[in-house]
Amino acid sequence: MLPATAIALGVLAALLAWPVPAALARAAWPRRDPLVALVCWQAIGLAGGLSIIGALLVHGLSPWGHSLPEAWWHWVTRQPAEETVRGDHWVAQTLAAVLALELLGVLLLSFVRTSRTRKRHRELLELVVRSVPGEDTRLLDHPAPIAFCIPGARPLLVLSSGIVAELDGPQLDAVIAHERAHLREHHHLLLLPFVAWRAALPVLPAADRAHDAVRDLVEMRADDVALTSLGCSDPRHTLAAAIVAAAGGAGGQVPEGALAVAGGSVAVRVRRLLAPAHPLPLAARAAALLCALALLLVPPLLLVLPAVV
Amino acid sequence: MNTLGDLERSVLEHLWAVGGPRTATQLKDDLADRGLALTTVHTVLTRLESKGFVAHDDARPRQFRAVGTREEHVAGLMHEVLGQAGDRQAALARFVGGVDAAEVAMLRELLAGADRDRLG
Repeated sequence: MLPATAIALGVLAALLAWPVPAALARAAWPRRDPLVALVCWQAIGLAGGLSIIGALLVHGLSPWGHSLPEAWWHWVTRQPAEETVRGDHWVAQTLAAVLALELLGVLLLSFVRTSRTRKRHRELLELVVRSVPGEDTRLLDHPAPIAFCIPGARPLLVLSSGIVAELDGPQLDAVIAHERAHLREHHHLLLLPFVAWRAALPVLPAADRAHDAVRDLVEMRADDVALTSLGCSDPRHTLAAAIVAAAGGAGGQVPEGALAVAGGSVAVRVRRLLAPAHPLPLAARAAALLCALALLLVPPLLLVLPAVV
Repeated sequence: MNTLGDLERSVLEHLWAVGGPRTATQLKDDLADRGLALTTVHTVLTRLESKGFVAHDDARPRQFRAVGTREEHVAGLMHEVLGQAGDRQAALARFVGGVDAAEVAMLRELLAGADRDRLG
């Protein structure tokens, strides 16, 4: 039983490590429904980690029993193996433990480090930003047209005086609605595992791609949410104009580092606002969500199934 | 409203404005309209010091001064908050990340095209 399970999980892990994320990153449909695509990305990340660790564990423990739960129990209770234990079994066990610890450890570390960075940013900002009466936004005196939010228990939504001067009222509302959408839907949590795993697996190009794709998708999702709350006559055009103005505003002494990151993703956002594609058909949405659900269910099922059969 | 955050702001603003060292007693008098107790001033100064925004010398009584000017604080903040490090750790969600001049020109063209379509 076990070799087949290990091979199935290994194949799934290999698919999720490269071809599947590459295909999803290249696909055009996520722009039409960022939310469904974000669900798929989370499923890929979770199922990928689970299947690779599961594959190693199943192979490593195979001499101890005929199913993972059984073998695990025998191993934990220090019962002698039923078959000869070879070196590759020990290697697989060790790798499984190392990988599990690394993935979880890096996730935790990334969370702690990001929280600390956010706290520091908040401290730096709170000394110089002004509150706007009756608003939850804060104003930073700086000529560059900038808007951002710092998520967390005490979120901070900051607008620069540059962006307030550059944009008209409805455009500013659009910017604020976009940032509020990030905060309300906790987009930083959707991004966190991908930030962490990119740091953990620098050799895996898919980790990089996945991170960038998810980062772009949360921006599109925030745009979509912002559109629903805007009362102006042409919210799509207003938000697109706000993005263009913020991207090219005068007086932008923005630090060097921030310049290289966005690539073509800003243009993608503007294009899909100005010339919206048809929303994804209901059947396609359902199919994508079912795929995500199946991805989440397959590794755990493979792990316990031989015990049932 | 005298929350600690507000007081930290007022004290640092004042130190920035003065541009030189002040003792805690002087600060208490400078900010007399706030009606602060001396211990409160000390608490605020300690907090600012632990965050690295204020330093004191060894004179008696101790004199406190701001580390850097307000302009330096904002410049450092922009670098730290919006620089590469902040972005890579996803510590914040920025409305629009940096784009280069060529892309800005292309974005403006996109928008202008849409405007022509709407009017035409």
